[in-house]
Amino acid sequence: MYVHVPFCRRKCRYCSFVSYEGRTVAIPAYVNALKTEIEKCAGGERVGSIYFGGGTPSLLTSDQIREILATVRAYFSVSPAAEISIEANPGTVDETFLSGIRKLGVNRLSLGVQSLNNNELKMLGRIHSAAQAEEALSLARPSGINNVNLDLIYGLPGQSLEDWRDTLEKALAMAPEHLSLYALSLEPGTLLWQDIERKRVPAIDPDLAADQYELAEDLLAAGGYRHYEISNWARPGFECRHNLVYWQNKPYLGVGVAAHSSRDGRRYANTSNLDDYLAAFYRGVLPEKVLEETISPGLRLAETVILGLRLDEGVAAADLIDRHRETVDEMTGLGLMEYSGGNIKLTRRGRLLSNEVFWRFLPEEQGAVK
Amino acid sequence: MDQSLIRNFCIIAHIDHGKSTLADRLIELTGVLRHEEMSEQVLDNLVLERERGITIKAKAVRMNYPAKDGKTYRLNLIDTPGHVDFSYEVSRTLAACEGAILVVDATQGIQAQTLANYYLAMENNLEIIPVINKIDLPASEPDRVLEEIDSVFGYKPEDVLLISAKTGQGVPPLLEEIIRRVPAPKGDRARPLRALIFDSHYDDYKGVIAYLRVMDGGIVKGDALRLMGQGTELEALEVGYFTPGPIPAAELAAGDVGYIATGLKNIGDCRVGDTVTSLKDGAAAPLVSYVPPKPMVFAGIYSTQGEEYSDLREAIEKLRLNDASLTYEPESSPVLGHGFRCGFLGLLHMDIVRERLEREFQLSLIVTVPAVRFIVTVAGDRQVTVVNPTDFPPPTTILRIEEPWVKISIITPSVFIGGLMDFVIAAGGIYRRTEYLGQYRGGSELGQRVLLEYEVPLRSMLTMFYDNLKSRSRGYASLDYELIGYREARLVKLDVMINNVTVDAFSRIIPPEQAHEVGKAVVDKLKETIPRQLFKVPIQAAVGSRVIARSDISAMRKDVLAKCYGGDITRKRKLLEKQREGKKKMKSIGRVEVPKEVFLEVLKIG
Repeated sequence: MYVHVPFCRRKCRYCSFVSYEGRTVAIPAYVNALKTEIEKCAGGERVGSIYFGGGTPSLLTSDQIREILATVRAYFSVSPAAEISIEANPGTVDETFLSGIRKLGVNRLSLGVQSLNNNELKMLGRIHSAAQAEEALSLARPSGINNVNLDLIYGLPGQSLEDWRDTLEKALAMAPEHLSLYALSLEPGTLLWQDIERKRVPAIDPDLAADQYELAEDLLAAGGYRHYEISNWARPGFECRHNLVYWQNKPYLGVGVAAHSSRDGRRYANTSNLDDYLAAFYRGVLPEKVLEETISPGLRLAETVILGLRLDEGVAAADLIDRHRETVDEMTGLGLMEYSGGNIKLTRRGRLLSNEVFWRFLPEEQGAVK
Repeated sequence: MDQSLIRNFCIIAHIDHGKSTLADRLIELTGVLRHEEMSEQVLDNLVLERERGITIKAKAVRMNYPAKDGKTYRLNLIDTPGHVDFSYEVSRTLAACEGAILVVDATQGIQAQTLANYYLAMENNLEIIPVINKIDLPASEPDRVLEEIDSVFGYKPEDVLLISAKTGQGVPPLLEEIIRRVPAPKGDRARPLRALIFDSHYDDYKGVIAYLRVMDGGIVKGDALRLMGQGTELEALEVGYFTPGPIPAAELAAGDVGYIATGLKNIGDCRVGDTVTSLKDGAAAPLVSYVPPKPMVFAGIYSTQGEEYSDLREAIEKLRLNDASLTYEPESSPVLGHGFRCGFLGLLHMDIVRERLEREFQLSLIVTVPAVRFIVTVAGDRQVTVVNPTDFPPPTTILRIEEPWVKISIITPSVFIGGLMDFVIAAGGIYRRTEYLGQYRGGSELGQRVLLEYEVPLRSMLTMFYDNLKSRSRGYASLDYELIGYREARLVKLDVMINNVTVDAFSRIIPPEQAHEVGKAVVDKLKETIPRQLFKVPIQAAVGSRVIARSDISAMRKDVLAKCYGGDITRKRKLLEKQREGKKKMKSIGRVEVPKEVFLEVLKIG
């Protein structure tokens, strides 16, 4: 289950996600709406993981998190060993909060560190410093949370290979169990995009970003991390179970503004507008769906291949060869895919060019989109 | 109707000087359409014509005008195409009239096509009424333009009317002047039929509709007719005139302008400039000699998607129904697949055809580098005609190459003369003469207006000539050209290779001394515009087997979508679908995906 918390103290300059700054007074009403939505969507299914994403979920109080988790546990069958993650921004967490949520069963903390270089943090519009990020992690351990992820971003405007190496080395020194490294994706309309358009900061160099990714692969492998998904590295046993649900094309339920669900061969998403979402619950109805599509069997197969290829083990060769012999030959010929055991997976170069591989596996027919 | 009450006239002008707006005002003032029925510029049918401000096909409207002398006159306004590519159609339209309103823009003065149209009207012995239009604009300089008209054409200011077609100011007096100055037709109703076809279009139900000016005799419905130039025999299935919609009539008699429905399926059988006479006891001689225009510019047209070939064929066939000057024949290219080598009257004609194919038929097209018709003499004194650079004979077999030359007239403010001369000379131009228009009284930073005449190879005009002319004169210079014949040339074929595959669409015929510069420009442009591929792509330009320019596009390294935000798999998939759709719009050449914009960019190099 995914729970979206669309509140931020301040919107970051690169962010195009659904999050609102200056709306924190709406949090109590939002928590009530979430609880109602969870009740109404309940099918009693087994829940193996819960993920609080945002926005900034750490803006919730531990009491609010308690209420939400209690509702989930009341209406679903949450496994005792469930992975319960929360995203947090350095600068928004203290020890009381962390030990509080640990007692509620939260057992994984994902810190939005993004960079350990203060100039870069400023350019991104983050509200915290590198030192605060290190402090946040040091608070997690004593509170009993021993599965911590750090989010980092590479491919930043003006970020040299050495700048990136420095951030990576500092991050490794913090010894997290899990690392998510994302290439900056420049979304039109964001403040950072405007900065680049107006040449206030340098443009992004895709070749340098590729070098940075390869550097990360080398450093993290040497540090004992398994590169189990295109953007994710973990110490063995600490792979994020929630995210694996996405990559393995298994069902999930999302609640909250802009939350996506995949259930019973359908994908759907809630409205991205906070006011519309809240208003729906005042009227006692479920929020409007802005996306609702039935996934045909053909599309489902293709999605399973595309998502599965993101993982380090790849997908079973037998599943692929029948339908996509030519594409597989072309991609292996270009060194983007390779055979490994009975599987086919992306090569090092193929991971960086994964979109070029993936679109080739799309079916001609389209999923019915309403 | 008594011929003394008929006036047949046209409006001639440089592009955008207000010809169509004036036509609208005349139609409105004579009450053919009420103001609220007027769609702006009613004579321009095609959307494309309106957007470009160009009238491509001539049209004719009959108006009844009660003049101040108490008599009601029948005015036939024949609209003319406004661009040099269509000078043949213009000349045939003029031959159908007795008078012409020569419109000159009060802010711009005489332009190259004003001059060209004026000379055509003189050749056809038309009575010319000079008119200065747009006098309502703040930037108008009627005094300066009056002086230009005096100096260039010899019309005294009292012979020139000042009007604003937009506001209607000065248009009612113009109607009176048309009655007073344009001679009435002087045909003979009793002589054998002679009618000039000045336009035609294809109608799904009635076949080819021919627009006619009847000089002698008359036509009634059911008449058996013959075209004297082409020999086509036909029956007048319907006879009528336009107001501006078609109105069937009992008869078209000497002096009249109107149409006949022919039932013909092929517009090529009923072409502009031919003379219609009776099948039996017809006239002895045609009105004008029938010389259909020959295409001067050739280019290959291909669809980006090979499977659209049959759609492309159908679209070209449909266009051709209404455009007899468009020629096409199938050709195939090792790189682009199946397409057509099309012949056009000029570059504008080519642009219009391309845009109509894309817009009206939703095709995604690639147009090859345009070429002229070369005459090449090869070993054994055999002459071959080459319209596709790919077919250029091997250099060792060539004894002699001839290419078409044109005389160009440029009218420009004098400050730009230096820059324009440099570039026309660089394009292989030969200077002929300079003429200063009007009298310079000082005061303008642009100086006096000047007519420059050059002779240039038509080949030089096929790429960026017009754009260069405009950019080097801040948009002030105007251009007209006419074919003057073939001359011997020293030329080579430049080939371009992408990933070691020669792209015939990029081959061009150029003077050897330009090969290096053009080759490098093409290679650089390709490197800049072709997106990086999954492998390194060499780009080369060569003359024969000699590579004269080379550059490599390095392999793409990164194209990755990292974050799966809140389980939004759908967005990820949509982005991939969009990426795939983008690839579909590209042409695969030597395994390289080339966006069609690249072809347009390369066309611009010259």
